[in-house]
Amino acid sequence: MTTVAPLLAARGVSKAFFGNPVLRGVSIALQPGRVHALLGENGAGKSTLINLLSGALRPDGGEIEVDGRAVPRMTPALARQAGIAVVQQELSLTASLSIAENVGLGAYPKRFGLIDYKELAARAKAACALVGLNEPLSTPVGHLALGRRQMVEIAKALYRKPRVLILDEPTSSLSSTETKILTDLLERLRGEGIAILYISHRLNEVMALCQHVTVLKDGTCTADRSLVGTDATGLVRLMVGRDPGDLFPKWQPFVSTTTAISVRKFSAGLMRDVDLDIRAGEVLGIGGLVGQGQEDLLLGLYGAIPGRTASAVVNGISGLPGGVPKANALGLAYVPADRKREGLHLIHPILTNMMLPAFARLPALKLRSRKTERETGKSLAAQLAIKGDLQRPAQALSGGNQQKVALAKWMPHDPLVLLLNDPTRGVDVETKREIYLMLRTFAAAGKAVVLLSSDTSELVHLCDRVAVVREGRITATLERAALSEEAIVSAAMGAEKQKVAA
Amino acid sequence: MSIVPSAKSTGALYWPVQARRNIGVRSLFLVVLAFLIAYGVLFPGLFAASGFAKFTQSWFPLALVAMAQAILMLTGGISLAIGATVSLGAVIAATTMAGPFGVAGGAAAVALTGLGIGAATGFIVVKLRLPAIVVTLAGSFIIGGAALLILPRPGGAIPAWLSDLLAGDTPAAFVLLVVIVLLWKLYLATPLGLSLYAAGENPVGAYRSGVPVDAARVAAYAISGLLSTGAGLFVAAQTGSGDPVIGTAFTLNSIAAAVLGGIGFLGGQGTMRGALAGSLLLSLMISVMFFLGFTPVAQYVAQGLIIIGAVAIPQFRKV
Repeated sequence: MTTVAPLLAARGVSKAFFGNPVLRGVSIALQPGRVHALLGENGAGKSTLINLLSGALRPDGGEIEVDGRAVPRMTPALARQAGIAVVQQELSLTASLSIAENVGLGAYPKRFGLIDYKELAARAKAACALVGLNEPLSTPVGHLALGRRQMVEIAKALYRKPRVLILDEPTSSLSSTETKILTDLLERLRGEGIAILYISHRLNEVMALCQHVTVLKDGTCTADRSLVGTDATGLVRLMVGRDPGDLFPKWQPFVSTTTAISVRKFSAGLMRDVDLDIRAGEVLGIGGLVGQGQEDLLLGLYGAIPGRTASAVVNGISGLPGGVPKANALGLAYVPADRKREGLHLIHPILTNMMLPAFARLPALKLRSRKTERETGKSLAAQLAIKGDLQRPAQALSGGNQQKVALAKWMPHDPLVLLLNDPTRGVDVETKREIYLMLRTFAAAGKAVVLLSSDTSELVHLCDRVAVVREGRITATLERAALSEEAIVSAAMGAEKQKVAA
Repeated sequence: MSIVPSAKSTGALYWPVQARRNIGVRSLFLVVLAFLIAYGVLFPGLFAASGFAKFTQSWFPLALVAMAQAILMLTGGISLAIGATVSLGAVIAATTMAGPFGVAGGAAAVALTGLGIGAATGFIVVKLRLPAIVVTLAGSFIIGGAALLILPRPGGAIPAWLSDLLAGDTPAAFVLLVVIVLLWKLYLATPLGLSLYAAGENPVGAYRSGVPVDAARVAAYAISGLLSTGAGLFVAAQTGSGDPVIGTAFTLNSIAAAVLGGIGFLGGQGTMRGALAGSLLLSLMISVMFFLGFTPVAQYVAQGLIIIGAVAIPQFRKV
């Protein structure tokens, strides 16, 4: 075993927020030349640990060590000086500045007190080349798709030539190609002796990339060991304390032939001339690389962005809804990907969030019945296992529970078609399992589920059919029998144009 | 050292970045051009030296306050004290320049007052984390009151030669504006200056990236104060004396110009060239309507409609 002092370490750190302990005596040591995985369900304390390591928060107890020496008052500035770079889950980019100006932000090369754009261009270019960003450096970041912004964020961390690189779910918005670029890059950086802390909910990535793992559960460290000889099943058991075999519910063939939504030559946003039939009782997956127009497909069907179509039938009514209230009336419900901004009203109580779609349907000036609301809220919370006081603001919940609230709010309306935009992004394994089960149950009840997902394994194991989108068109519709990760990825990348089934 | 970083020293990045920033304001430039042509047709004297001087002089203070407002809006702030600060600048100029310290001393007093007021406001907003709109609303009463204490009724004096230089038949106002714009470009080419955008749009992310967010915002308030009192000095030179309430209209006009120029209220959105074009458009609108014989009341109504239209049109185009 190595006896080198870890580049960055936490020794028995504890942290509490408002009296709630989030971390209790957690230790972690980041060794040079090692990719260290940090696993745990949402709310296990991963983000807090990162914030302690990077100086954004100060521990209540325990200490942070750099190169084996304790740092009594770690600050973000000290962390930067020590060569610690963090790729946060929330992007730290400025949309109106160019890629280069974002990459160099906070560490611009200077010449006579001015930003040395020539030097900046050279250094930003090198950092962008590492992550395969080939857009012109003068492109404003606001013009990039989410996945590309994530790459800018990573380039920004690399620009500072870090010794310790902490990545908090870097792949949650990346396509498979981009993920591949990133994993190759991390391999290389590891070879150069950089210490990497890697947080991801995608176990296959962790298994392929990391050498060592620390597992957090409810603020304590349940494992700190080498990944050699551990398999994915074992990891999940460490995280949730039980077997993951039933992550995906058992798939059963469906028999319904009723069509919930049928569109011909449908265009909305990036999507062009799409023919699509969504059957009642199925889970239809929407796959493809990030930003190919999948989101516009959902939003267009939902009437949230303008769309055109040659013919459309939605739940027996012809014509597109053309607006959200109309879509709701037709039995459509949409759960957005960005739950913090679009899915929920974070500062408002959980209960209010759950009741919002109901408010839209009630007579505008009729008095609300608090009692009915409380009862509906309670039964929803029980159904979806959302624990605790429903009067707390939605932001008090962990990511997974927030997602459950975003889903729950549509349930009282018994939607016929559920349009989901990446519902399991950044959600822990346990909640994922609950969501999967819910979607299958929903489909079994004769409703249609349209699941846009960036997680290919989810598409393979959960869906009845998967439509793969590339450059605004559905390039393949894969039936259950033809479903495999390889088939989806190759269709997404345009490697194969066949396999279009009826 | 040249004032604008030369293409050679900045490589192939600076200019493409600059060109990108034009994209959002191109249509605004076209509208400004159309108004400029209309104005030239209605008033051919615009292209003579004295007509040009008069026009730039009427635009100059509005351009300065538009910049003062835009720089704050870029950081996600706003100021309701700009008008009062202009008035204070005017009375300080009118009471000191004829005194023992002369024009130089007076100008220094005006500049220091502006920087000081701005920095103090910025400090309160940034360090005490109070809403800018409330702090500057309160500030407008304090600053406006101070102006009235110094000069309860219009009076004081500006040396005639200075009035002639700034507001006579000279292109001094235009030259000054060019210099100020170049200084702004220079500021924006410094790390602190460019940080404005990051600090305004994504302060948490900027802080984590090592951007001195607080310093960038306080500096913006200080610069804004300086531009406002500077505008006051110019207005005093135009009228030859100080008036303690002369600046009042500038508060809302500065916001109107910035909004016309595409500066967003959320911070980090928009460009200074847009704000300047917005102030020019506002100033042209007033002149053109005057020549077309609009009554003052009709001018206000038309002005309001044009502002709403200007903000709404880009929204429609996005669809």
